[in-house]
Amino acid sequence: MSVIWLRTAAALYSCGLLYALIYLFWKSTKLFTPALIAFGAGAVLHLVSLVELRLETGHLPINNFYETSSLCAFLIAALFLLLYSYYRVAIFGVCLFPVVFFMTFIGSTEFPVTAWSSPQLRNAWLLVHITTVLIGYAALIVAAVASVYYLLQERQLKSKKLDPASNRLPPLGTLDRIITQAMNAGFVFITIGTVTGVIWAFIENGTKWIFNPQIAFFLFTWVFYLAMIFLRITAGWRGRRIAWLAVSVLGCSIITWVTHLGIRSIWLQ
Amino acid sequence: MKLVLAGINHRTAPVQLREKLAFRSEEIPAALLDLQTRGAKEALILSTCNRVEVAAALAEDFPPDCLLENLLDNRHDLSWEAVRPHLYLYEDAAAIRHLFRVASSLDSMIVGEPQILGQLKGAYLQAREQGTIGTVLDTVLTRAFTVAKRIRTETDIGQNAVSVSYAAVELAREIFGSLNRKRVLIIGAGKMSEGAARHLLRAGVTEILVTNRTPQRAKQMAEAFRGTVVPYEAFPQRLAEVDIVIASSGVPNYVIKRDLMQQVIEERRNEPMFLIDIAVPRNIEPEVNRIEHAFLYDIDDLQRLAERNLQTRREVAQQAENIVTEEVARLEVRLRARDVTPTILSLQEQLEAIRQEVLLRYRGRLGSLTPEQEEAVEGLTRGIINKIAHGPISEMRRHAAAQGTEDAPQGELISAVRRMFRLRDRPSS
Repeated sequence: MSVIWLRTAAALYSCGLLYALIYLFWKSTKLFTPALIAFGAGAVLHLVSLVELRLETGHLPINNFYETSSLCAFLIAALFLLLYSYYRVAIFGVCLFPVVFFMTFIGSTEFPVTAWSSPQLRNAWLLVHITTVLIGYAALIVAAVASVYYLLQERQLKSKKLDPASNRLPPLGTLDRIITQAMNAGFVFITIGTVTGVIWAFIENGTKWIFNPQIAFFLFTWVFYLAMIFLRITAGWRGRRIAWLAVSVLGCSIITWVTHLGIRSIWLQ
Repeated sequence: MKLVLAGINHRTAPVQLREKLAFRSEEIPAALLDLQTRGAKEALILSTCNRVEVAAALAEDFPPDCLLENLLDNRHDLSWEAVRPHLYLYEDAAAIRHLFRVASSLDSMIVGEPQILGQLKGAYLQAREQGTIGTVLDTVLTRAFTVAKRIRTETDIGQNAVSVSYAAVELAREIFGSLNRKRVLIIGAGKMSEGAARHLLRAGVTEILVTNRTPQRAKQMAEAFRGTVVPYEAFPQRLAEVDIVIASSGVPNYVIKRDLMQQVIEERRNEPMFLIDIAVPRNIEPEVNRIEHAFLYDIDDLQRLAERNLQTRREVAQQAENIVTEEVARLEVRLRARDVTPTILSLQEQLEAIRQEVLLRYRGRLGSLTPEQEEAVEGLTRGIINKIAHGPISEMRRHAAAQGTEDAPQGELISAVRRMFRLRDRPSS
């Protein structure tokens, strides 16, 4: 029973993720209150699930990775709600909502579900996963290239050797907008790709999925990406720092991609 | 018909004279009609703050001086003697070249400025409305617009900054892209900062804040730009709100130091900031340029940039001049070829009339003919006149195209052909 509560909690937490994505694009905080309510409800159900698990097993649910992840997610959620009730800093939500969602989501995969209802669904699912991830990578490449241009243009402006007549680089402001938009779009697609990928791996490999290094690395890339987006929004990181981050995230993505080179053979199984 | 262009511009005449000769837009239609009644076949008046020019198509033997003198009659307080030394007068190819150069902004005070093409187009439309544009001016002006466009696309003429304040605007564009919704703070109301502010406003900056040690000056300047006054003591607190700072106060020390800017950039969450220090001695600590996202340029940096642009612009202008030369030659050939067209047409008509006449006279004696024979007679007679016409026609065409390189006056050949073949005068098109 506890896993049902946990899955419902994860579903409610996903509202928070949705809010974070909407915030990235429209800088709109209008949806914060509904997202916060859903998040709070999620946390309550999460607590119910944890208590139930405690009663079932007779000890604190930290038996395995899934339980730890779930408990940790709950603690982060509780801490966020506590902080919010004191300081009213909504901006942490943009970063913490997705994190809590993912950790709970991972925690909810402790018990394997029955396999795919049909091979078509399995293939379609994999197709969605791969397409969204690839679109995300494409956007990330755009962001990284624009970041490098940003560095070059900035250096030219700083050195005062810039000749507007021969300069063919776009203005800094334009590049900055391109980087923001590409990064945000990339983040949305890679997030969708991550969710679909985790579900796929979970159904495919059962509880063993978490030990798959490809997926671990993919999750690491996603967290890195999230950190980059968050730093950009809250600390206004741009220029040199964001350029290095973008290039590093791109590097991680390339490694993830390389580890998945064998994916076609799995598909054809 | 010949094309004549007369006028004065910023190089040949002082502003006192230019402003007297200048036509207000609403005066032009009457002046155009006036030119027409005095013998100009076609006319155009271009009047801007830097030039007043009249272009006209006149009959070959019409003295252009006469036309201009008449034009001046209507301008009270201006004598022909006063204007004459400042006047330039071009005919035909030289006039075409001048129009091409004007249209493509090679003759402008700021080479490459884009307004003049619009002004010339306006003058053209105005003249066309009055019906004083005929084939000559139409051909030349339409071509001039094309040439201007060609020069703009094929060279970088419009791309460079020329003055210091313009260089500042170009740099601001390199940093921010669009200057829409950008705010400017002017520290020290002076002539230099005024120029820069004006350029920035024209480039789309939305708000201007002015601060000065003497508040009255700040107030004056703020009024001129519809900006806001910031008390001098309070400007450091407002720095984070603005994207561009222009410093030109007479204060002999740094009014913006590195520590202050570091805070400001942090407060702006790394939004880039462009600082222009045109004060001597300088107002902004040079170390500010070391702060990430702060771009500081002083007067020397801007001057260097403006000069380098001037240099490249000169090179670019040379490319543009070459295009003009090429285009003038091309148009001349076309125009000259058109000069002989009426003669060629009447020659062909004349020969055809002779053919018809003779054929009519002898057709009766041939009796009845089969359709094939009928056709053969037609072909025979037509063949004879075509062969006869071929020599003179190709000779006239060759001559027209080659003129300018050979010194045989084309008029003579045409009139010789007209005399030899007894061609009647056709009304010119």
